[in-house]
Amino acid sequence: MAEALLEITGFKMHFQTDKGVVKAVDGVDLTVSEGEIVGLVGESGCGKSVTSLSVMGLVPQPPGKVAGGSIRFAGKDLTRLKGREWQKIRGNDVAMIFQEPMTSLNPVFTIGNQMVEAIRQHQKVNKKKALSRARETLREVGIFREGILDEYPHQLSGGMRQRVMIAMAMVCRPKLLIADEPTTALDVTIQAQILDLMRRLNRETGTAILMITHDLGVVAEMCQRVVVMYAGQVVEQGDVQTLFKNPCHPYTKGLLKSIPQLDKRIDRLYSIPGHVPNPRKLPTGCRFAPRCEFASDICREQEPQLLELGDGHVSRCWLEDKDGTRRGADRDATTNTA
Amino acid sequence: MTPPQTLLEVKNLKKYYPIRGGIFGRRVGEVKAVDDISFFVKRGETLGIVGESGCGKSTTGRTILRLEEPTGGEVKFEGTSLTRLKSEEMRRMRRELQMVFQDPFASLNPRKTAGEIIEEPLRVHGIGTARERKEEVQELLQVVGLDSYHTARYPHQFSGGQRQRIGIARALAVKPKLIVADEPVSALDVSIQSQVLNLLEDLQEKFDLTYLFIAHDLSVVRHISDRVGVMYLGRMVELADRDELFDNPLHPYTQALMSAVPIPDPEVKRERIILSGDVPSPSQPPKGCAFHTRCPRAIKICGQIRPEFRDYGGGHFAACHLLEDGS
Repeated sequence: MAEALLEITGFKMHFQTDKGVVKAVDGVDLTVSEGEIVGLVGESGCGKSVTSLSVMGLVPQPPGKVAGGSIRFAGKDLTRLKGREWQKIRGNDVAMIFQEPMTSLNPVFTIGNQMVEAIRQHQKVNKKKALSRARETLREVGIFREGILDEYPHQLSGGMRQRVMIAMAMVCRPKLLIADEPTTALDVTIQAQILDLMRRLNRETGTAILMITHDLGVVAEMCQRVVVMYAGQVVEQGDVQTLFKNPCHPYTKGLLKSIPQLDKRIDRLYSIPGHVPNPRKLPTGCRFAPRCEFASDICREQEPQLLELGDGHVSRCWLEDKDGTRRGADRDATTNTA
Repeated sequence: MTPPQTLLEVKNLKKYYPIRGGIFGRRVGEVKAVDDISFFVKRGETLGIVGESGCGKSTTGRTILRLEEPTGGEVKFEGTSLTRLKSEEMRRMRRELQMVFQDPFASLNPRKTAGEIIEEPLRVHGIGTARERKEEVQELLQVVGLDSYHTARYPHQFSGGQRQRIGIARALAVKPKLIVADEPVSALDVSIQSQVLNLLEDLQEKFDLTYLFIAHDLSVVRHISDRVGVMYLGRMVELADRDELFDNPLHPYTQALMSAVPIPDPEVKRERIILSGDVPSPSQPPKGCAFHTRCPRAIKICGQIRPEFRDYGGGHFAACHLLEDGS
């Protein structure tokens, strides 16, 4: 296995609000190796975006507060970085693209202007050099045409704007690209273009991608490994084949069964009963227990730990730990020696 | 010509929006949101309409209910021409045709309780006494899977899925025959989406409903529809029975659209048709076939003459020149 580029262990990000502490991220373990594409999936409010913003150091603190764990990037603990130190990482080593390319581009500056700013922020080059670099990157993402550098974001279509965002993110050849729902706002035929582009960039430049999405189809097509989150925690993690063919956690199973499929006919969709818990009033024990058809007493009383099932397949579920011998501290001991 | 089981018939429907410009606000052009489309919906079936943003699928739904006045063409519901009705007659007609909207946050009045929202259509149409209406609301809440204590709550106190249930209950209140559902699940998470899709199917069976189901997600449309129509740039390019359309798509656009959908199965490897470029602007649609600028198989005639939307056997309609010479 390639070396771990990003290593998040036991990470917790809590928010202090007037109505109490919101545990938006409360136990995330994930690694992204060099050149790998990892999918982070979950429903709205599960903490996937807060996780990615934490990696970029974009969560305002306060109200946010790192309540535990670490985020290591190339050996450096990002949770300890201060103000200016971030600038060396952000944009250079780690870059991010967002869901809505219209709101992430500044509407009153031209494309050229914004790209030059991004380049000169990180590289010591003059304006002319930066402009030619901008042209080159736009060509790489396949949208260069005469005059595009003088155009404003509103003159471009959604797909083109997202390509500009990708071009800006890729300009410094980051080691890791975090893509937060990069195609959710786009139509399927445009989504296919963007996914194709991201796959090509990954292959050609070796940039690792952490792909945050709610679309399991996108995950199956793009990613080598998948991390599933529920109510602020990682509940299952594994390579894409294992996770889709042999999911362990009842939430992952339910999620996979509830999507209608284009190539198969199902008479009635499975649906997970109930809804996601309020992050201020999380249930005791397993957070999925109130919606889980397999839940037993232990699930409602004690919180399950992430359990290694072999080959990097990890699940947070008491069902995998029936005899109770592998729980808690024992589990830490086994993973440490392994 | 019209089969007896037809509930809704749409003939040459057009909706153009004027573009005004200059100091006098003269009409300088128009956006052809819906450009001459025809189809019918059979009683008790679900007709799905798919297409990308801006293809005119939502405008089609709204124009049928005359939430937007059509520019041309005719809509017939059980033999009555909706397009010729006076606005008061149309208002009364809407007891038969209801709509469920996409955004459950924007389509419910934030200052009214769930009970008031569901009761409103009954009140507007003067159905029942106040007490009967209250009872009806309780029943409707149960039908869509909410509890009676939800009556007094306001929209912001509900989750997205619950709000969509309120929207569905409101549409059901007047016991309509046809429900136009415009992207009813696209704002919802997958686990909630499947709950709402199942609910829609149950209600259809229980109340003999006919759906016009508008969505951009092909997998959802395939799941719920009996027949599916595909729109591109204001036009219907293909329409067929669900399985026929998905197993044997005729139009190059339908083929490309289907191949672009990511399949949640890492073992499935498909050949993907990646279309180049973007959808052209509907204010300046290309001459001839609207799709020819992006079509990988376009020939000379495609840029000159608009292909006819015709039946290629067994109710499989398509509009494409490539099919016409039997190739």
